Amino acid sequence: MPRLLRLTSWPLTVKVPLLVAGLMVAIAVAISQIVLARLARDQETNLRLLSNAYLDGLSAAVLPAVIRSDIWETFDALDRARGRYSGVKVRYAFVELPNETILAASDPDRFPVMKPVPEKLRKEFPKDDGLAIDEASGRAWLTRTLRTEGFSVGRIHAEIDIADLLRVRHQVLLTLLLANGGLALAFALIGYFAVKHMLQPLSVLTRYVERIRDGRLEPIPQRYRRNVASEFGQIFDRFNAMARTLSERETLATQLAEQEKYAMLGRLASGMAHEVNNPLGGMLNAIDTIQAHGNDPAVVQTSLEFLKRGLAGIRNVVRAALVTYKGGSGTVLTPAELDDLPFLVQHETGVRRLRLEWCNRVEAPLAIDGPAVRQVVLNLLLNACAASPVAGAVAVEAAPADGGLRITVSDEGPGLPIELAALLEQPETPAPSRAGKGLGLWTTAHLVRRLGGRVAVERPGTGTRVVVTLPVVPTKETTRDAA
Amino acid sequence: MPAIGRSRPARGSSITRRRLLLGLGAAAALGLARASAAETFSFGLTPVFLDNDIELLSMLERYLTGRLRRPVALIKRRTYQEISALLISGQLDAAWICDDPYVQYRNQLTLLAVPLYHHRPLYQTYIIVNEASRAQDFDDIRGTVHAFSDPDSTSGYLITRWLLALRHTMPAQFFREFFFTYGHRNVIRAVGSGLAESGSIDGYVWDVMRDREPDLVRKTRIVYRSEWLGFPPMVAPNARANEPAVKAFAAALLDASSDPLGRQILDILALDGFTTGTPDMYQSTLDKWRVVKAQV
Repeated sequence: MPRLLRLTSWPLTVKVPLLVAGLMVAIAVAISQIVLARLARDQETNLRLLSNAYLDGLSAAVLPAVIRSDIWETFDALDRARGRYSGVKVRYAFVELPNETILAASDPDRFPVMKPVPEKLRKEFPKDDGLAIDEASGRAWLTRTLRTEGFSVGRIHAEIDIADLLRVRHQVLLTLLLANGGLALAFALIGYFAVKHMLQPLSVLTRYVERIRDGRLEPIPQRYRRNVASEFGQIFDRFNAMARTLSERETLATQLAEQEKYAMLGRLASGMAHEVNNPLGGMLNAIDTIQAHGNDPAVVQTSLEFLKRGLAGIRNVVRAALVTYKGGSGTVLTPAELDDLPFLVQHETGVRRLRLEWCNRVEAPLAIDGPAVRQVVLNLLLNACAASPVAGAVAVEAAPADGGLRITVSDEGPGLPIELAALLEQPETPAPSRAGKGLGLWTTAHLVRRLGGRVAVERPGTGTRVVVTLPVVPTKETTRDAA
Repeated sequence: MPAIGRSRPARGSSITRRRLLLGLGAAAALGLARASAAETFSFGLTPVFLDNDIELLSMLERYLTGRLRRPVALIKRRTYQEISALLISGQLDAAWICDDPYVQYRNQLTLLAVPLYHHRPLYQTYIIVNEASRAQDFDDIRGTVHAFSDPDSTSGYLITRWLLALRHTMPAQFFREFFFTYGHRNVIRAVGSGLAESGSIDGYVWDVMRDREPDLVRKTRIVYRSEWLGFPPMVAPNARANEPAVKAFAAALLDASSDPLGRQILDILALDGFTTGTPDMYQSTLDKWRVVKAQV
C-alpha cells in the first residue's frame, strides 16, 4: 500500500487534528439529529394544534351553512377564514357533502360547486379526521367531519402549505452545519498548530539524529532544551548522553584500531624477524663463498646475485612493516601498497605451508585511504591464514568494481562463526568486551564503515569468503585518524 | 338591494337602555321600536351597497339625527324580507327598500323620496359572468351555477325570474345550481371567485363598485342589461306617512344635496340627490312581478 494511504504512517500533526475534527463532526451529527428530530416533532405538534384550532373555528363558522347546504354562506366562511389563522397557511379548503359532492370551496375555480371531489385528490386526505403530512411536497392535508346531533352533515378538507416549516428546518440544519463545520475546522486548525508546536522538539531531535547518520555526533544545544516540555527535555538529555557515549566509543574505537595495528605488528614482528633471519644465513654463506672462492668470477657473480635477492627480500619485508607502522599518504591507494602485503604474511603462510593466491588487478592509484585499506586486507588475510588448515589455500583478490574497490579474501577453514561474521557485517554491533576475541574483525568492520564501504561474509561450501566493497569517492569523514 | 349583515348602536346625546338594545339589533328590541317611536326614529335599510361601510352609516345617522332633532336608529337586517316585515307591521318609521317589495306592498306604503342616479331615478339589472366565461348573452348562462342576491330583490332575482318565465322555465331547471348571497357585493365576489358562473346584480351597485373595488369587479363581465327601472325608493307605512317626523325625514332626504354632510353621504353613495317619486315609475317592475307571480 502506498505510504500516504497507510493511516499509521500519517504525521501526528495531521492525525490529531483530523481526529479532533472527526470527533467534532460526529458530535455535530448526533446533536443535529437530536435537534432536528426534536424540531420536527415540535413543528408537527404545533401544526396539529394550529390546524385543529383552524378546523375548530372553521367548523363552527360553516356548520349552520352546511346544515342548510347554503353554498354562499359556506363559501363566505371558507373565504373569510383564509389568512385569518396565522401559522396555518391554507392553500385551499372545501366542504364535501355526504353525497361526496363539493358544497363550496375557497378555490371554486378548482373545486366547482356540486361537483365530485377529484379522485386523485381524495387519496391525499386522511380517511378519518386528522392530519396527513407529506414533507416531500411541503403539504399537509386536513379532514374534519361536521356533525350535528351525532349525524355527519359534511366534511371539511383543507390543504396546508408547510413549506415554511420545512424551510425553518432547512435553515436550522444549515445553521447547524455551518456552525459545527466552522467549529470542526477551527478545532482542526488549532489542533494542527498546537500539535505542530508540541512536536517541535521532535523535529530538533530528528535533525540531530540525521546528523549522526552523516557521521556528525553533536549534542542538542541547551537553547533548545530550555523551551520544551519535560518529556522532551528528558529525551534531549538522553540523546545528549547517548551522543556523548557514542562519541567516546568512537574515540575508543579509533584507539582500539590503533592498538590493534600495533598488536598486529607485534604479532608480525617474530615472523618478520624469521623472514629477515632466513636469508641472512644464506647470505652469510654467500659471503663465505665469496671469501673462499673470490677468484672465480662465476661463483662471485652467483653469490652476489643471491645476496642481492636476499637483501631485496629483507628490504621488502622491512618496507612493508614500515609502511604499516607509519601509515601512508592517507588519500590514495597505489597498487604497490597492496602488493606489499604478501611479504608481511610470509611467515604465517610459510609455517603452515599455505598457498597464497594473490591477485591484484588494481593498476592505477585509487582515491581511497591506502593505510586503512592495507590494515583491512592484512587483518582479513591474517584471519584467513589462521583459519586455514595446514597446506590449505588462501586467496586474495583486489579489483576495481562499480567505481570502487572490491577485495575478496577466501580461505578453506571451518567457516567464520556467526557471531564473528555479524561483527563484520553489522558495524553497529558493539565492540567485543574481551580483547583478542574478534577485536581484529570488529576493527576491520569499523574501518570499512569509516571508508563508507560494506562487508559481506559468504560461505561457499568450504571455508569463508569475505567480500569488502569500498567506494572510491571519499566520504566526508575519511580515515584521517584511522591508521 | 343588499342588506347589511351587522348593526350598530344608535348615536345620541344620551344612551338609554332601550336605545342600546335597538342599536344592537337584537330581536328583543323589535317590540320596543314602536314604543320608543316618540323619541327615536327607526329607519330600516336594505339598499346600502357596501356592506362594510361603517363610515357611511355613521354619517347617515348623524345627518338624520341632526335634521330630525331626535335620535335615529338605523335598522339593518340580513334579508329584504325582514325589513319588509318590520315595515309593514309598523315597527319602522321609514325604510329604504327595493322596488320589488315596494310593488308587492304598494297599497300599504307611501313613497317619500327616490334617489337620483346619474340625475335620473332609474337603474338597471345586470346579468354578469366570470371574466373567463364564454357566455355572450342571457341564454348562454343556461346550465351554470347562478348567484342571486335576494329573493325580494328586483335586480338580484325578479328580473332573472321574469326572463326565465318568458322562457317558461324555473331557476332549478335553467341553472345547474343556484344560491342566494344576500348582498350585491357578494354576487360579485361569488362570480369573480368562480363559486358561481353567473349572477344577477344591481347595475348601480356594479357600476359604483367598478370604481371603488376595480380588482374585484374586473373579474366579472356583463352579458345582459335590463331596461331602466324605477330606483329603489324611500318609503313609509301609509299610516305614518303624515307624521311630522316622517315628513321631516322626507325633507331631509330631498334637501340632502344642499347640505354639506348630506352631500358627502350622496358622494359615497354615488347619487346626485333625491326626488319625490310617483308610483307609476314602478309600473315596469310591477308588470314583471305579476308575470313571475302568475307563473308560480
